Amino acid sequence: MTANPSTQTSNIRERPYKRFPTIERLAEGWAVYKENLIGKIGLTLLVIFALMAVCSFFPPLIDPMYHPMTGVDPLISHSTGPSWRHWLGTDFIGRDILCQLLAGARIAFMVGISAAFMSIFLGTVIGMIAGYAGKIMDTLLMRLADMIMVMPTLLVVLILSSLFGQLNIWTIVLLIALFRWPGVSRVIRAQTLSLKERPFIEAAKVTGASHFRIIFRHIMPNVLPLSLLYMTFRVTSAIIIEAALAFLGFGDPSTVSWGMMLQWVWKTGHMFQAPYWLLPPGICISLLTLSFYMLGRAMEEVLDPRLRKEVAQE
Amino acid sequence: MEVRKFVLKRFVEIFIIFFVILTVLFLLFRLAPGDPVTRMVDPTLTPEDSQHLIAQLGLDQPMGLQYLYYIKNFLTGNFGNSFHYGETVSSIIWSRLPNTIILFTTSILLSAFVGVFLGKIASWKKGTKTDTWMTLGALVCHTLFLPWLAMLMIWIFGFKIGWFPLNGMISPEIWMDPSSGVWLKILDVLHHMVLPLATLFSIHFGSYLLLMRSSMLDTLKEDYILTARAKGLEEKTIRNKHAAPNAALPVVTSVGISLAFSLSGGALTETVFSWPGIGRELVFAVSNSDYPLAQGSFLLIAIVVLMANLVVDVLYAYLDPRIKY
Amino acid sequence: MALLAVENLSVGYHTRKGFLKSVQAVSFSLAEGESLGLVGESGCGKTTIGMSLMGLLPENAAVTGGKILFEGIDLLQLSKKEIRQVRWKKIAMIFQAAMNALNPVHRVGEQIAEAILAHDTEISEETAMKQVESLFQVVGIPPDRMKDYPHQYSGGMKQRAIIAMALSCNPSLIIADEPTTALDVIVQDQILNAIKDFQNKLNVSLIFISHDIAVVADVCDSIGIMFAGRLVEYGNVKDVFDAPMHPYTQSLMASYLTLDKDIAQLDSKPGETPDLVNPTPGCCFSERCAVADAACSLNTPEWVEISPTHKALCSRFK
Repeated sequence: MTANPSTQTSNIRERPYKRFPTIERLAEGWAVYKENLIGKIGLTLLVIFALMAVCSFFPPLIDPMYHPMTGVDPLISHSTGPSWRHWLGTDFIGRDILCQLLAGARIAFMVGISAAFMSIFLGTVIGMIAGYAGKIMDTLLMRLADMIMVMPTLLVVLILSSLFGQLNIWTIVLLIALFRWPGVSRVIRAQTLSLKERPFIEAAKVTGASHFRIIFRHIMPNVLPLSLLYMTFRVTSAIIIEAALAFLGFGDPSTVSWGMMLQWVWKTGHMFQAPYWLLPPGICISLLTLSFYMLGRAMEEVLDPRLRKEVAQE
Repeated sequence: MEVRKFVLKRFVEIFIIFFVILTVLFLLFRLAPGDPVTRMVDPTLTPEDSQHLIAQLGLDQPMGLQYLYYIKNFLTGNFGNSFHYGETVSSIIWSRLPNTIILFTTSILLSAFVGVFLGKIASWKKGTKTDTWMTLGALVCHTLFLPWLAMLMIWIFGFKIGWFPLNGMISPEIWMDPSSGVWLKILDVLHHMVLPLATLFSIHFGSYLLLMRSSMLDTLKEDYILTARAKGLEEKTIRNKHAAPNAALPVVTSVGISLAFSLSGGALTETVFSWPGIGRELVFAVSNSDYPLAQGSFLLIAIVVLMANLVVDVLYAYLDPRIKY
Repeated sequence: MALLAVENLSVGYHTRKGFLKSVQAVSFSLAEGESLGLVGESGCGKTTIGMSLMGLLPENAAVTGGKILFEGIDLLQLSKKEIRQVRWKKIAMIFQAAMNALNPVHRVGEQIAEAILAHDTEISEETAMKQVESLFQVVGIPPDRMKDYPHQYSGGMKQRAIIAMALSCNPSLIIADEPTTALDVIVQDQILNAIKDFQNKLNVSLIFISHDIAVVADVCDSIGIMFAGRLVEYGNVKDVFDAPMHPYTQSLMASYLTLDKDIAQLDSKPGETPDLVNPTPGCCFSERCAVADAACSLNTPEWVEISPTHKALCSRFK
């Protein structure tokens, strides 16, 4: 594209990363992202929570009574309000609430990101295969996706836990992933379908590339930004589902998650008397979900093909 | 494609999906660890009753025959007996169904209508403070954790201010009193319904608002809007008569997609508010290892979801002339 | 007095890359019943002129100068409410059928009746629908199709419906923006005949915007050639076709084969689309012109009158 000398405005900065198109695109993306207020708020919140998660390791090292699960304060054995010993107070058996909150952040990130990652992985692979293979494979996979999408994930996991007994955290993550991939696969499939007709795919076929190679080497890089975008939304639903499960009493009893904390408040009848216990976990769940959501929406602006020209890597 | 053909097609699809779910449940039950017999047969029954039940459910038969028994039992509405309640599962779940339907339907309709209405307004006032606040408000409400919001509602409006009952669907005093009129009873239910409805509404209206807003913004860019403007129509007419009906179509589709999510939310709400619905029954059944009841509740919920999907699809087919004609 | 007199109209768009000068100092006039064709390649500003006449410019557009005198009143000075009253009743527009010009969720007949009802508050719905029926007869659509939805119409029928809609309020001026571009040749012919037909019968003035010079020649009395936002040649269709003066007009003509004349093949230099943010000084066509000299890229050309009904904007033909 030859540029008229008189139009080379100062808007186009010097691009030092000309040789690394991916980095260049990331830098461009970051510039667009930075302008978005929602994105900035979301990112800030996320960083705060990440710090919380990291800090969760420290309190038990300071004093064993601060351990979220087993920490018992020799002086306190019931729920108390905020004090210097316990900044957010204690729960019904004297455990420190702040430490539980920090540990919950860690669990939330872990569950959210792993479940999202797994469901994105599944959804992307299945979407690509469905879009690329077409016909029977496509119909089969999409019918499967439809069936899974119709069912309420939470309730399905519930009934499964009734069959398999108490679930541990990783099983929960796996189950969430297994039931959340359909949404992603639809979008990826649509994208694959449109990419399939592009000349560079023809070229690859002509040069004898195997289907496998075409899918992973040519289609995947172009489909990946969309996958990543949807990952942020998947994280939010994963966190919510885990929290809901824990709240209902079907979480992993050996992990302290925010949902678990809420369950304890509820089941031990402290709902009305202990706002210092009731409020923090709920606020955290909501804020973390909100921040991932904000991140996702800001990323949408960066990645939306309508705003940016699609450059396929050929 | 004619509407009738379309509806029939969807009906068949839903039927197939349900059948698959039924079968999967059957297989899981048989393949899960532990003895299937103890799951289905209340251990407290006498040996004769147990034998009778086992024969009825076909648990002593080979897998294939068991499946047939299973289907037959399902079709005749025999889900076995609840361990916990001691009654037949079907009597329990059928009595719970209307309660869930009342709450669920009302909350979806309310959220959808209000959300769409507000979203339309937000799109008109795009860029202004009203829009920013609406969008932010919708976003924040949407991400609140439902059980927590429910607890807050009960705490503030039920406990502290005392306007609404803390839980349940009815006040026993009113319903036991033979002199209470029908209207009083209805009012009572509505009174109990306010908080759960408010909770569900808060969580769901946001997504409708945001969706309608972006749908309107897209629709306003369409060519037929330019035509309408060229015809000299007022802006208000253009937005309400030309843009909004088109913009609302994707929202109807999204109602269908989010039905599953709404139902999960419904189950959580029922649990916290002790609203006697199917969702709560499922949760209780699972907690109590009351497998027959859990299975029955789950299947009924599946039917509800699928039916709701069908209703939404039919509605869409009816609203979009491109499908109707 | 001319029905329409555009004087020195300049319109631009605010874009991220700068201010795009889409229309620069364009002047022309139109008498009652006369038809003018505006021809040029994409981006030359012809659609912008059409939109300015209707008052339908998007938000990032700005009129930087000139007047649009319609029946003596400057349309650019009217308030929003006043423009709405002028729209459709006095000036109507025919869009491309390929565009989604008809609302998919409303019946076609209703959409046309809506236009009638919006401008005539006393008329009843039934009367309006009867008018729609007679309009359908004028443009050649069976009246029983009135209750159909747009997606049930073929491309040609949609275009006829759009024409009917434009005629519905008996406007004095119709702007047709690429009305036949998306249609196949046979249907194109039918539509052009329909347009010529109603123009004659109803004595409506017509501005026909197109990139296809052959089509314009068929329908219009006068023709204006546009390039890079400027009118470069203007006059009677016959005069301009017999003796195209401006090098751009000549290259446009050269791209069409005719049966009866030899048209000298002019080589034109290959070039890019003109830069409308920072236009080149001098003549806007100088970079692509085969006969341009050094002075052309420095001095703005002036209008040269070849005859009272034919003028061209070029300094090479003094």
